[in-house]
Amino acid sequence: MWFVRFLTSSIGKKMVMAVTGLCLILFLCVHAAGNVTIFVGSAVFQGYAENLHSHPVIVFIFRVGLLALFLIHIGVGLLLWQEGRKEGKNRYVVNTWVSKNPYAMSTMPYTGLFILFFVLIHVFGFAVAPTHDQMISHVIDDALSNFFYVLLYLAGFAALFIHLSHGFWSMLQTVGINHPRYNTLIARATWVVPGGFLCFFSLIALYLLTTSTY
Amino acid sequence: MSEINLTLKIWRQPNAEAEGKVETYSVENISTDSSFLEMLDVLNEKLTHEGVDPVAFDHDCREGICGMCGAVVNGVAHGPEKETTLCQLHMRHFKNGDTIVIEPFRSRAFPIYKDLMIDRSAFDRIIQAGGYTNVNTGGTPDANSVRISSQQLELAMDAAACIGCGACVASCPNGSAMLFTSAKVSQLALLPQGQVERKERAQAMVQCMDGEGFGHCTNTKECEAVCPKGISISNIARLNREFLKGIFTGRDD
Amino acid sequence: MELKSNVPEGPLEKKWDNYRFSSKLVNPANRRKFSIIIVGTGLAGGAAAATLAEQGYQVKSFCIQDTPRRAHSIAAQGGINAAKNYQNDGDSIFRLFYDTIKGGDFRSREANVYRLAQVSNEIIDQCVAQGVPFAREYGGTLANRSFGGAQVSRTFYARGQTGQQLLLGAYSALSRQIKAGRVTMYTRREMMDVVVVDGRARGITVRNIITGEIESHAADLVILGTGGYGNVYFLSTNAMASNVTAAVRAYKKGAGFANPCYVQIHPTCIPVHGDFQSKLTLMSESLRNDGRVWVPKKKGETRKAADIPENERDYYLENKYPSFGNLVPRDVASRNAKEKCDEGQGVGPTGLAVYLDFAEAIQRDGADVIFRKYGNLFQMYQKIVNVDPMKEPMMIYPAVHYTMGGLWVDYNLMTTIPGLFAIGECNFSDHGANRLGASALMQGLADGYFVIAACVANYLGTNKFAKVDETNEAFLSSRREVEDRLQKLLKNSTGGSAGKCTVDEIHKELGKLMWDYCGMARNKEGLEHALKELPGIRQKFWDKVYIPGSTKDINQSLERAGRVADFIDFAEIVVRDALARGESCGCHLREESQTEENEALRDDANYSHVAVWEYTGEGSEPKLNIEPLTFENVTPSQRSYK
Ligand SMILES: Cc1cc2nc3c(=O)[nH]c(=O)nc-3n(C[C@H](O)[C@H](O)[C@H](O)COP(=O)(O)OP(=O)(O)OC[C@H]3O[C@@H](n4cnc5c(N)ncnc54)[C@H](O)[C@@H]3O)c2cc1C
Ligand code: HEM
Ligand code: FES
Repeated sequence: MWFVRFLTSSIGKKMVMAVTGLCLILFLCVHAAGNVTIFVGSAVFQGYAENLHSHPVIVFIFRVGLLALFLIHIGVGLLLWQEGRKEGKNRYVVNTWVSKNPYAMSTMPYTGLFILFFVLIHVFGFAVAPTHDQMISHVIDDALSNFFYVLLYLAGFAALFIHLSHGFWSMLQTVGINHPRYNTLIARATWVVPGGFLCFFSLIALYLLTTSTY
Repeated sequence: MSEINLTLKIWRQPNAEAEGKVETYSVENISTDSSFLEMLDVLNEKLTHEGVDPVAFDHDCREGICGMCGAVVNGVAHGPEKETTLCQLHMRHFKNGDTIVIEPFRSRAFPIYKDLMIDRSAFDRIIQAGGYTNVNTGGTPDANSVRISSQQLELAMDAAACIGCGACVASCPNGSAMLFTSAKVSQLALLPQGQVERKERAQAMVQCMDGEGFGHCTNTKECEAVCPKGISISNIARLNREFLKGIFTGRDD
Repeated sequence: MELKSNVPEGPLEKKWDNYRFSSKLVNPANRRKFSIIIVGTGLAGGAAAATLAEQGYQVKSFCIQDTPRRAHSIAAQGGINAAKNYQNDGDSIFRLFYDTIKGGDFRSREANVYRLAQVSNEIIDQCVAQGVPFAREYGGTLANRSFGGAQVSRTFYARGQTGQQLLLGAYSALSRQIKAGRVTMYTRREMMDVVVVDGRARGITVRNIITGEIESHAADLVILGTGGYGNVYFLSTNAMASNVTAAVRAYKKGAGFANPCYVQIHPTCIPVHGDFQSKLTLMSESLRNDGRVWVPKKKGETRKAADIPENERDYYLENKYPSFGNLVPRDVASRNAKEKCDEGQGVGPTGLAVYLDFAEAIQRDGADVIFRKYGNLFQMYQKIVNVDPMKEPMMIYPAVHYTMGGLWVDYNLMTTIPGLFAIGECNFSDHGANRLGASALMQGLADGYFVIAACVANYLGTNKFAKVDETNEAFLSSRREVEDRLQKLLKNSTGGSAGKCTVDEIHKELGKLMWDYCGMARNKEGLEHALKELPGIRQKFWDKVYIPGSTKDINQSLERAGRVADFIDFAEIVVRDALARGESCGCHLREESQTEENEALRDDANYSHVAVWEYTGEGSEPKLNIEPLTFENVTPSQRSYK
């Protein structure tokens, strides 16, 4: 069967990583767009959040979808990592990396796991734990005025940056996008996209740290 | 021309089953004009005179084209020079007193026979899975009957330049054979002659590649960096496309 | 020894058709009942294995390397000839035939050469259909270049890697047949003997290089495509594993060896740089299209090339051969370089090199034009020598490159042992006393793809085959012989290495003797000297060679020792042949046979023949047999390049 052949092949698994990775990037974009409202003001953000939650079906589908994406991305990622370790770069007495910037690519599972750790705290703190009578904007304001909490956030964003500084280009390569005409563009985007996320999310965190409203 | 003395740390393994270890040797008065393999020849002559089993290593053309030679030198497949096979690496790139660590190409799919000699027959099986056009001898159309733009042709030739040495696998942290496989798939995908089997070819060759125990590609670019023929990983992207197209639009059986 | 050429009847251009029409065929359904052994996976052997398997025969294919794709053919750079006349510059089958016969100095068989020219066009079609990326013009049609001084552009090429691309084409066709189960591939096997049963070749004995095991393989016929013997000179442009073992084993079993003294020495190779040198690297002949060859006029010149003024340079080829200049054929260019160096005008640290200078071409066409043409060759040169030919002239010197001699075959490509065929560089057939550039690839593929299949069918169709398998006494005794010989090679290994020599040391000694006395220019005295020295080298080899390890596993010293032992035996017939051929022809220059202007002088009255050597037993002199050459379609003329 074609999809069994696809999923059991090395390229198929990589494509699953790439597609789920891309979806996660798209989610981050949506997430970021929503977060813009924070800058506009606490009330607007609250409005956005409430509006979002007034459509429970959408929220449910979104959550389940997101969860599935994460689970697939993580599951397949760890599987591939495990398979890759059978060989291991360290199979030689002397090991030398020849290509440029090997750190991002050799730490993909670690940055990934750190993102996971961060996401769990983030989700647990903002989406699950708050009781219904608390306003989400306040919860966030609260949390992000704590210096260490912000530090954790910044670390999470940095991990995401590193993950994507290899992952973005890698995703395109995996789905077959590599052409001399666009390679300069892709190379730039591989810094701009993760860099954009890093700056934007960090800015929110720092903004909230410095403008704590209570 | 000048002469240098070197310390060599070489992987010695008497046969496939035996445990190997690194042995240390020294060689003196190596001309900097000689090639790396000629330096090993000097060592082997010396070992033979001492009654020691010489280091087994594969080589044939010594011109950088047959793909028979290869070893990992100080952690880098084919040594420090870019786009250079081991046989074309010259000793002027080393300094007097250097210590050089020489190990065989390692991969699950490339068992060691002896010392630096390995079994790369898995590559042959990947080609057998589909790296050809199904034409018999005779009865082929006139060579000029299909025109091919020189640009397209050059791209195919870039891919066809692969010498099948296995450095890509040896240097890949996952032991992936994607660069090798993609070079052949690309050559045939880019030429009109390769179109008939195009949809099945990538799938068949990838399936074989996976079955031989090669790892998957994590886009580390190590293969491209050590490839003595400068084969580009854009071929891997092309293989990915070919594979995808084959899976989704090819015949299902 | 009977030498019947079996050339078919009819006019030249009809012979091949007549042959195919009158020869016996094997019914497609019956072909799978026949088994064929093919030794060698170069262009000749690889193409033959694929083609015969496609036709339905059971094929067993053997090679020394770890995969069929690495045969020595892979190293060919320049290109492959064909009479396509795509450039519309007056080429034709007859012209390619004529050029090849003339280039071979009228020492080859007309009918064979004509057939070669006839099938040349099909080769190009075949290769393109396999996906061989021959260079194309901007408009998408195939590109050609003129090669080795040819007056027409008929050479097809794939960058500087034509041999590689052609071989990979044959290899992919072979791979397809391996997958289909019609070819059984035996890699890392070295053929040690031909097995003859009831007067016919019925199998081979091989050594498995990995396990050391001696194996027997039986079949209905055996085809050798084992390449040339240039490594008898130790230093050559051939790959390290190129050897004469298979051919010598056949010779000792009764196959005649033709024209062993015809050895082509290529003028543009990178000079020798030291004693530890293991092989020589060819620089494509195309360099002579733009490079100018010169040496300093002053003997023992010490100035750098750039400091030597124009009037103190000796452009000896341009001066001596005004109409061909730097593009004279290989043998002429080589010989003149040697002469200049012998006279003390050579350059470089050893004095054994001449300049090949691109300064004028760069000035005329611009640096980028020249770099675009030769960039990859320049880079290769720079990698090896560490000098940039764009800035300083290259240094070149002749080196042993190709061997026109080989196993004698008739029009059927069959040796004097029935059922033993020889194809590619391993046979003597098509190049006479000198091979034109880009014609070896053509011949290998012509034999492998197009000629051998008809010959095999004819042989199988005209004979009855008793069932023979590996338990036959002939196989058993061949195995014993091979095993004894290996033991004999190892006999010095007990008692330590002190006072012994390595295989390479003796091979170098042999090579030097051959190069000095049976190299570019030969004379009676020198050849007789070499003949006297050879037994001493053989003696030293068997008494002193030290080979560590055993016969039972991977032993690269043992492999080389077996080959060198055969080279030593074989060297004797090379020298004897050179001695017997009192004329100069093609690549064989006898100093006694020169014109007043020191040009090679052919002697058609006495030597218009193929010299075929017959083995008469260990220790007894080989016998010379003769196949006379007759020319009905061309008139032998004295070559002149003035
Ligand atoms: C550097 C170089 C450049 C050249 N350039 C050109 C060119 O541009 N144009 C051109 O036309 N010609 C060129 N030639 C010549 C041409 O390449 C060869 O003549 C031709 O490729 C020979 O092909 P082959 O199939 O006969 O033998 P080879 O390719 O030599 O193959 C021999 C095969 O036999 C096997 N073999 C040998 N001995 C044994 C044994 N004892 N047991 C088992 N297997 C054995 C080997 O493993 C190998 O597979 C060049 C040659 C060299 C050296
Ligand atoms: C928002 C979060 C995340 C985003 C946007 C993201 C994005 C990506 C992208 C685009 C890739 C490249 C795919 C490819 O090479 O084709 C990738 C690879 C990878 N990701 Fe993530 N990822 C995220 C979270 C995670 C998490 C939580 C893990 C946990 C283990 C993880 C592990 C990996 C691994 C191991 C790879 C490399 C796979 C390989 O090359 O074989 N990622 N990721
Ligand atoms: S020996 Fe042929 S590539 Fe190095």
